[in-house]
Amino acid sequence: MAKNIESNLYTMLFTTGMVVIVGALLAFLSSSLKDKITENKRIEKQQNILYAMGVNENDKNSVIFVSKDKVASEFSKYITKQLVITGTDVVEDDKAYLIDLKKETAAAKIEGYTRRLPLFMGMKDNIQYYIIPVRGKGLWDAIWGYVAVDNQLVVQGVYFDHAGETPGLGSNIKERFFMDDFKGEHFLDGDLFKGISVSKGNSDPKNLDKEDFEVDAIAGSTITGDGLAAMLKKDLKMYLPYLKTIKQ
Amino acid sequence: MEHLELFFKAIFIDNMVFATFLGMCSYLAVSKKVSTAVGLGVAVIFVMAITVPLNWLLDTYILKDGALAWLGPEYAVYDLSFLSFIMFIATIATMVQLVEIIVEKFSPSLYNSLGIFLPLIAVNCAILGGSLFMQSREIQTLGLAFNYGVSSGIGWFLAIIAIAAIREKIRYSNVPPPLRGLGITFIITGLMAIGFMSFGGMLTGGEEEEAKETETVKVEVVKEAIDVANNEKETKE
Amino acid sequence: MGLLSKKDLKLITDPLADNNPITIQVLGICSALAITAELKASIVMSVAVLFVMGLGNLTISLMRNIIPPKIRIIAQLIVVATLVIIVDLVLKAYAYELSKTLSVFVGLIITNCIIMGRFEAFALANGPLRSFIDGIGNALGYALILIIVGFFRELLGSGSLLGFKVLGDSIEKTGVYAYGYENNGFMLLAPMALITVGIIIWIQRSRNEALIEDN
Repeated sequence: MAKNIESNLYTMLFTTGMVVIVGALLAFLSSSLKDKITENKRIEKQQNILYAMGVNENDKNSVIFVSKDKVASEFSKYITKQLVITGTDVVEDDKAYLIDLKKETAAAKIEGYTRRLPLFMGMKDNIQYYIIPVRGKGLWDAIWGYVAVDNQLVVQGVYFDHAGETPGLGSNIKERFFMDDFKGEHFLDGDLFKGISVSKGNSDPKNLDKEDFEVDAIAGSTITGDGLAAMLKKDLKMYLPYLKTIKQ
Repeated sequence: MEHLELFFKAIFIDNMVFATFLGMCSYLAVSKKVSTAVGLGVAVIFVMAITVPLNWLLDTYILKDGALAWLGPEYAVYDLSFLSFIMFIATIATMVQLVEIIVEKFSPSLYNSLGIFLPLIAVNCAILGGSLFMQSREIQTLGLAFNYGVSSGIGWFLAIIAIAAIREKIRYSNVPPPLRGLGITFIITGLMAIGFMSFGGMLTGGEEEEAKETETVKVEVVKEAIDVANNEKETKE
Repeated sequence: MGLLSKKDLKLITDPLADNNPITIQVLGICSALAITAELKASIVMSVAVLFVMGLGNLTISLMRNIIPPKIRIIAQLIVVATLVIIVDLVLKAYAYELSKTLSVFVGLIITNCIIMGRFEAFALANGPLRSFIDGIGNALGYALILIIVGFFRELLGSGSLLGFKVLGDSIEKTGVYAYGYENNGFMLLAPMALITVGIIIWIQRSRNEALIEDN
């Protein structure tokens, strides 16, 4: 085969061939695995929402979700109602947990679009929980999670996750020692919204003061921590009008 | 003003080498002589100045969620951002191939001294990082994207010039033989990075805005709460 | 193993010592700084790189005679990116938990200069089996450094190894913390990773004088 590898024609043929093969390979793989992946993501959302309200199989130190085979039944057992708040309009929707916050944030940038706010209501041991999905930016990429509050608007549990924070540093926002700190924290001072900041000068490493509107930061993860605090401030504020109506 | 702020921020505060540690391989390997460092640094600025705006165009008009709306409203649902990685790398690789051809033709000595690190500009995480940061920090205009590309490149350039100059000077110092060359460079870079952390404090400000915001929310909240409560009452009845 | 000659075995032993990708070839530094704040991440990244380098070197070597020189960089990048995306997709479908740990690293693997560096330096000019072995060898050399740095950074920076608090609890003040020891938070920051690698280079070259650079 006396093909002239250097020729432009060959280069173009090769490039086209490669693009076609790679494109076909990835498209085939992506579409055949798509359903499994979507299902995995759906299950993960349910596990995370349940986790935030305290339905999980945690041992002393690790985060252990409700197992995949039990999650569907646990979800329908503990999550009593799912709401979608659009402006002042509140409707029930049992697919609310599938709303993609990333898409809502992007759509909200367009004039005239009122963003949809999903809210999940759960009941466990006679306590009413309201679980709020949040999403923001860490140091490298997106961070997101769920904040569960009771009807006094005191945080009862959280779950955080990230797309690409530094392992051992920012990635620790999903560790027990950080998430557990949020339980019992307040973000409202009377009627004034204060949010929860992630503070280095907290001098409260065991986080015993629940009304300081702060949790202890993670060493080496300043920007991730600040991004998390900003995310909580921005997103919780959006739910405030509705939340104030349930506060007793 | 925004341009000036972005320019200085990208060079000193978000310096590609010292703040985010991108592009270390070529930085450490090509800094033995100031002349080669200058050559590589200029190549990096050039590649970044072109790829960041180019990738901005790609991102805005093809990749972003809803970016394809200019083709027609039904295309707005497509979100091709998962292709960002490959498309950005493809643009960068093409540019680097071009640069390689140019350098080989106009300066064979530079081409030889850069060796394997010229094609490695394509995987230089600083260049890809520049495009990815442009995307994740949502840089708004083409002009700002060009600004960001040039200034990030200049930041990298300054870093490699600095370390090359230091390395040339310490050749006459009493460095223990096993540390000579690469070893001491690692340690000096670490120390320079620690020094650069002091620029991080320049990012303060903008917190006074937050305080005012909380007040206005209070007022709106009361009005909306009444509306929502009324709506709920109606739906219940 | 009659298949492997002495020369082939050197392809594995060299990168573990005298031709280490990080400390001698100066490749793969970015990830050595970014990933090594915890030991577990260092291990996961090493396994992923092992897989991608072995298969990548093999693929490029098989294609070496048909890649047009003008676009060889792009072709190499496409091969790496495709391999990494395949790994990511398969994990997302069949081992979702594991894929979440890996997704973070996907970008860092694709731009890992070791992979392209070995394509250029070896796979483009050698046969498939030898290229495969070279890929594995260099990945092991990379893993060695990553694990050493990760070990010290996590131990001295967080007082733990693989998440287990081996020095006691820093908040409850048990173990060594009872004597006043505090975690060196600085070890968690990237500059210290640079200095740690510098020290590893120091030790390596002290043991093998042939590696010392001339002035």
